[in-house]
Amino acid sequence: MNKVSINYKNIYYPPGGILLWIIIFLELFTFGIALIAMVFYSKQEPLLFHDSRLLLNATFGMINTLFLLTSGYFMAVSVAQLKANNRKKSNTYLLLTMLFGMLFLALKSFEYYGKLNEGLDLSYNTFFTFYWLLTLFHVIHVIVGLVILTSVYFGIRKPQSNTSIEDVEASAAFWHMCDLIWIILFPVIYLLF
Amino acid sequence: MKTTISLTWLILIVLTITSAYISNLQGTYIAFVILILAALKFLGIAFQFMELKKAHVFWKGIIIGFVVIFIGIISVVI
Repeated sequence: MNKVSINYKNIYYPPGGILLWIIIFLELFTFGIALIAMVFYSKQEPLLFHDSRLLLNATFGMINTLFLLTSGYFMAVSVAQLKANNRKKSNTYLLLTMLFGMLFLALKSFEYYGKLNEGLDLSYNTFFTFYWLLTLFHVIHVIVGLVILTSVYFGIRKPQSNTSIEDVEASAAFWHMCDLIWIILFPVIYLLF
Repeated sequence: MKTTISLTWLILIVLTITSAYISNLQGTYIAFVILILAALKFLGIAFQFMELKKAHVFWKGIIIGFVVIFIGIISVVI
């Protein structure tokens, strides 16, 4: 069994590739600045932010965090299996990764449906403007991530696949970026105010 | 390799449940503790799942720098 090894110590080759990491930092800065702006706005209307936060279901937020973390775990195992040339196992873990990503989307959709039924839409107040913009923007990333992972799944399933380990690592880095963004969104939006 | 990833996943799950639980408690430093737990989870994903632990020190430094500045600003403002 041949093991694939890449020298990540080179500054130009972080795991996932330098271009992906530039995108990751751009995304983190964008979400980070938006969250800092949200916290600044909360100082102007602390009661409104506190009451609005209580209208969110923190348990849904926590379960969604568990879904994404579990999905990220399977993604990491899938990459490790692929590096050990276990393509079949890698594909199985990739399917589990996508399953938990879809569970995240299903619960998020259920949460959105409830909020819209209660009239808590984008224009309800400042808190919900931030809530919708930030979480919807994140959901778009998750959907794009799932499309990329589906393409990787069919790519590495072929016997004569030209999908390289670098392609899979880049896709994995994008998927983990969705975890990273959610990890900073969840406490600020659902727990802090 | 798989053991390290599994252990990281377990720690991340425990930290998530802990942060959700302590958010119901009253106290001056609760918000700060929640942010610190979020920072630990963030670094756990970056270093273990994304294998940044194997990367050049530049990438490690920049991700730690981001999380320290982000948590620092939020903690000061909140």
